[in-house]
Amino acid sequence: MGLLTNILLAPFLGPVWGTRWTLEQVDRVVREELTDDTPIKADLMALQLQLEMGEIDDDEYVRREAEIMKRLREVREWREKFGMSTSGGPVRVVESGEPE
Amino acid sequence: MTAAESASAATESASQEGKYVYCIIRNDRSREFGEIGIGSAARVYTVAHKDLSAVVSDTPIVIYDPTRENVLAHEFVNETVMREFTLIPMSFGTIFRSENDVRALLNSTYQAFTDVLDKMQDKIEFGLKILWDRDSVVAAIERDNDEIRRLKDEITRNAASSTYFARMQLGRLVEAAMEEASNRYVNDIHEQLKEVSVASRSSKVIGDRMILNAAFLVERKDEKSFDEKVKAISLQYEDLLTFKYTGPWPPYNFVNIKLKLEKAT
Repeated sequence: MGLLTNILLAPFLGPVWGTRWTLEQVDRVVREELTDDTPIKADLMALQLQLEMGEIDDDEYVRREAEIMKRLREVREWREKFGMSTSGGPVRVVESGEPE
Repeated sequence: MTAAESASAATESASQEGKYVYCIIRNDRSREFGEIGIGSAARVYTVAHKDLSAVVSDTPIVIYDPTRENVLAHEFVNETVMREFTLIPMSFGTIFRSENDVRALLNSTYQAFTDVLDKMQDKIEFGLKILWDRDSVVAAIERDNDEIRRLKDEITRNAASSTYFARMQLGRLVEAAMEEASNRYVNDIHEQLKEVSVASRSSKVIGDRMILNAAFLVERKDEKSFDEKVKAISLQYEDLLTFKYTGPWPPYNFVNIKLKLEKAT
């Protein structure tokens, strides 16, 4: 876990790591995990279903929803760090090119 | 800390006003839909371009988490608008910086919006999730499937001597029969609902008890027949399946316009 922790805590593209070639693979895997919100969204949908089916009450829902929102925000922050697309926030029409 | 406070604390530019867009409708006069907007019950109104309007409310420039509260607020506005208009729903959380930016959207996507509004005219969506009760389904399978019943009786009779393989064999047979049953139920239900709907779209099931997670596009005039059909089907499968039936919704699952949008920094 030591290596992973260092990667998580270090600025991602920083020059701290001398041996880039070994790290690129790790970098990619970690990056994919940090920036993938699919499992989080699946958890959110499962949680909503539990509420709909009356398996959990509102309080339980709100508590677990807060955890999921925290995870979603973390993923969004990582995506922004990597310059990847994120949903939400202000947008505008792309000037050039016709809409599809 | 209230939601509004934490939202404004999260973003420095929160004081700046943006326009949260809920949906696109065909309407060229300005309209008010009441103080029901996302965030702090903001006033919901229209921004028009030619014969199209975007339904919007003022909002600080923030990223809205898809919490139940926020998603319900977004949906409630669309439900309200839907009572009078055919609408194209926007993705949750879409914010433009100004009315001019909203008009630019209507202008640049005018043709696609118009085409889809024509297609969706007087159509509404219903959601149907179907979950099964595993134990009841297994019981029904054991009752109806001779091979499985025989193998099970045999294993029960010779509990001590019955082999691991016989049990494995039973497990495999039951699994296969369950998959077959699930397909049979789903096909039958789709078939019955076809008569009263225009189209259907299936999404990934959630969890291991769900066998169907689908949306149905229905003509407004057929709403009652669709409703009655779903009720009849749920009675038919009363002992085996649980139905989670929602709607009417705007056609969330039947509109797919790729908007060319970029971050407005």
